[in-house]
Amino acid sequence: MGSVSIRDVRKSYGSMEILHGVSIDIADGEFVVLVGPSGCGKSTLLRMLAGLEEITGGEIAIDDKVVNALHPKERDIAMVFQSYALYPHMTVAQNMGFSLKLGRAPKEEIGRRVAKAADMLSLTPYLDRYPRQLSGGQRQRVAMGRAMVRDPKVFLFDEPLSNLDAKLRVQMRSEIKQNHQRLKTTTVYVTHDQIEAMTMADRIVVMHDGVVEQIGTPLELYDFPRNLFVAAFIGSPSMNILSGKLSGNSFITADSSAINLPFIPASTNDETVSLGIRPEHFALDPNGMAAEVITVEPTGSETQVAMLLGGHEVVAVFRERITTRPGECLTVKLDPERIHLFDGQSGLRLGQD
Amino acid sequence: MHRKSTGYLFVLPALLVLGMLIAYPVAYTGLLSVTDNQGNLVGLDNFRAILGARATPTAFFNTLWWVVGSIVFQVVLGVLTAILLNQKFRGRAIVRSVTLIPWVVPGIVAATTWAWMLHTEFGIINYMLTAPGVLEEPVGWLTNGSTVLPVMIAINVWKMFPFVAIMVLAGLQSISNDLYEAARIDGASFWEEVWYVMLPQVRPVIVAVTLLLVIWALNHITIIYAITRGGPANRTLITPIQIFRTAFESVQFNQAAALSVMFFAVAITVVFFYIRTTAGNAGASK
Repeated sequence: MGSVSIRDVRKSYGSMEILHGVSIDIADGEFVVLVGPSGCGKSTLLRMLAGLEEITGGEIAIDDKVVNALHPKERDIAMVFQSYALYPHMTVAQNMGFSLKLGRAPKEEIGRRVAKAADMLSLTPYLDRYPRQLSGGQRQRVAMGRAMVRDPKVFLFDEPLSNLDAKLRVQMRSEIKQNHQRLKTTTVYVTHDQIEAMTMADRIVVMHDGVVEQIGTPLELYDFPRNLFVAAFIGSPSMNILSGKLSGNSFITADSSAINLPFIPASTNDETVSLGIRPEHFALDPNGMAAEVITVEPTGSETQVAMLLGGHEVVAVFRERITTRPGECLTVKLDPERIHLFDGQSGLRLGQD
Repeated sequence: MHRKSTGYLFVLPALLVLGMLIAYPVAYTGLLSVTDNQGNLVGLDNFRAILGARATPTAFFNTLWWVVGSIVFQVVLGVLTAILLNQKFRGRAIVRSVTLIPWVVPGIVAATTWAWMLHTEFGIINYMLTAPGVLEEPVGWLTNGSTVLPVMIAINVWKMFPFVAIMVLAGLQSISNDLYEAARIDGASFWEEVWYVMLPQVRPVIVAVTLLLVIWALNHITIIYAITRGGPANRTLITPIQIFRTAFESVQFNQAAALSVMFFAVAITVVFFYIRTTAGNAGASK
């Protein structure tokens, strides 16, 4: 078990800097997810943590020991790759025991630890098979088993579920989470899928263009996004963003309708602001604003309605079953407690949190 | 539609050429091996005569040395070169191209060049070894009975190891980078990566290439014939050269044919294993 400390880490390829000083502190036993769109630098950061990429600037420490100059094998980490990277010519048991064999562990110990991991992952019947004889989910489990037998200080996962179909992905997600709850090994998990991040993480690190946008628990990010990027990235369907102007304690939309705000934002140096509201924070209200329905998508448990509100196309999700048709009008209210305001220029969150 | 017959029409020209250049000579060799120079059937007399010849066992053991020595060093050197050329370093593209030169040079050109370089009195190799005092006396590389076959093997290794290197390199390049990274995280040193990741992955390539090299070494004429013609004192006489010399220098076509038939049986066995191996690979990669 170990803590991880990433301090002002930079990465450049030639003159191109792709990580611009990233700092993250990960506590012992924590499950941290790095999430962001492709090209944001999350995989590079993970590979630097693993020792597969050189660190251009800053420091990475595992258990208070700076590992910048250490080889991967000296860092006491294990990694699960997106492609699983199983050795095709080795059986499941050999794949899982390979690191112990390289570490000159006695045969009985290798056998015991492989058997224990295989038992945890329900792989015991497959120990003598080759990777090509396994399904995608089984291969994924072998890759995890290979990491588990080593009992490392830190587990690293690089988009481990991207190659699985949707159903299996949900199943493996909970298996990974369960294993973490049992083993309590510090885990750094990279994904571009914000739902994976929300469901699995103790804390999420949202990255974008080589910087950390926000670090927090899933619900912190959901309820108090620090800026427009995080607001739009976390949540599905994503937050509706309306741009307009401030006037006293009202928000004036592009077509001049007013939305009352529960507070007067502290900084109003620029009057242009963006208002964010999540789809589930609309409510039907006869005294609300008029919105023209564009499409209606019932899913059974809820109804998703795309509509035109204040000159913007927005998506609302209602728990009740609504019978409405495109072209009709609904009157809706925005939950004032759930309104987010962002500076029009910097995109930073405005007002009191 | 006449699909089947159209297909046969397409392969007919190739079949005709193969028939004239391969099937007919093979069949005719078979016929020559059981007749005398008048064309009379003599049964196995030619076989008895050629097996009784003094040169035959010498050539057999020379061939064994030649094939085993060539293959071992070609494969080891070729694989090591491939591993080296698979690493990232400055000027890799140039080194890769330069490595190919021995293989690209025509055999007869290489043989003549080496013959001059190894010349006892005027050769650059003796000059380079005697001038700084590594050797006291010039060595008769090609005239000394104990050095001549190893020298021939060395030239053959030099000529063919680039082929092994290029084939194995192609195999190495098809290994996913993730596997190396996984091995590094699992704690493998460079040589452990080579042993546990690279070599098992390119084993099918190495097996196929080795069998090809065996076939080529068995059929080899050019270098040895151009440099020593099998001499001195039959020290470099390998069976293909014995066949060649029996036929075209001693003009004993029937005995040469008998030796050819026996040699053909050995070669065809290796070819059989080669085809089975490569066909097996194609099946396994599906």
